[in-house]
Amino acid sequence: MSWAAIILTFALVDNVILSRLLGVWPAAGARGGMRAAAGVGGFMAVLMAGSAVGGWALDSQVLVPLGFTLLRTPAFVFLVASLALALQAFNGRFLPSFLRVTGVSIPEIGINTAGLGLVLIATRGEYSAPESLVAGLAAGAGYFLVTAMMTAIRERLEVEPVPRALKGFPLQLITAGLMAYAFMAFDRAFLARVLGG
Amino acid sequence: MKSEDPPALLFLGLCPAIAVSVRVIDALWMSAGVMLVLLLSGLAMELLSRESSGNEARHSFDRGSPAARWMRALVVTSFLTASFEAGLLALAPAASAALGIYAPLIAVNCLVLGRGMPGTHNLPTRRTVVGLLGRGIGFAASLVAIALVREALGAGTITLFALGGFGGTIVIPMLVEQPLRALGFAGGGLLCLGYLVAVSRAISRRAAANPAGGEAAQ
Repeated sequence: MSWAAIILTFALVDNVILSRLLGVWPAAGARGGMRAAAGVGGFMAVLMAGSAVGGWALDSQVLVPLGFTLLRTPAFVFLVASLALALQAFNGRFLPSFLRVTGVSIPEIGINTAGLGLVLIATRGEYSAPESLVAGLAAGAGYFLVTAMMTAIRERLEVEPVPRALKGFPLQLITAGLMAYAFMAFDRAFLARVLGG
Repeated sequence: MKSEDPPALLFLGLCPAIAVSVRVIDALWMSAGVMLVLLLSGLAMELLSRESSGNEARHSFDRGSPAARWMRALVVTSFLTASFEAGLLALAPAASAALGIYAPLIAVNCLVLGRGMPGTHNLPTRRTVVGLLGRGIGFAASLVAIALVREALGAGTITLFALGGFGGTIVIPMLVEQPLRALGFAGGGLLCLGYLVAVSRAISRRAAANPAGGEAAQ
């Protein structure tokens, strides 16, 4: 798979939120407007890129050579959790305003299905280290894009008359569902057309 | 939506799982995995958290930094999930392939990890088991309901376990010819979950606003 194909696949065609349904909660639950959405999206992009590369190293250099493939799940879970906690420590030390702006708990958004899911997709797809890094960054960019779009739509819907039962999380899910249909325009045929394949 | 209360946790836990709700049989396997990991991890954490000191049993799980609490919960859930994956691969390789990356994701499911979060370890063991079973059954019922709607309307079939002369697939004559294929895609899962949460909220609000309604009717 070419670099452009990996980028387009992970950012749009196989978007982690709208196609794989991973990390829906942090994207839907980002409170505090576009700045919070940008914070959550940026954090997830860094986490996914780090997780993808770390997952490649762990799988190809440790688990497979030692024959410990049954321990993939615990190993990947600890990798993603450790990265999330390291990012929390980094933010606490160098970017203390991040937590105030986003108003989210990093372990709560970090230890979710998006980071782990991406590691599993990249290792099962047998991507190399650079490909894993690009896939992680592209998936993070896709995550950032969808989070920002969902936040923008939510801000518009907050001032619209909506049935009480639908307000909040249900409406976010329905919005995400409709966005998922819209993103189906980015399919394999789109990829072939753009890349000239 | 707060992630600490059980209904919220249930719906948050359903988010990744709806990816495998295209067929009822896959939803049943996923529900079995979540229930198993939820129950065993809940019990394991309960046992690990109790330190007997004379006649008093005190909970130690809520001590330590939040990071340490998360890690302790993840140790238990990830190893149990790996065991479930290994068991599923040995017993039902087709189901293991159908669940794909979603079986390992049970380890970080909000519903399963919710048990390991701070402030959830204050109940006696029997009530803990009942609570965990309730959560597991709620998860399974919701996921299977979504799968039933998606498969029946989206494909015109209901896929179950093959048993004896039963091939495992029920065909719905009218729907199989003109199915609503859109429900089979990821967007269909999100729409079904969104409406399920809305219906659940409406019912809860009606019940809260009318607590004596049931008694008056009798």
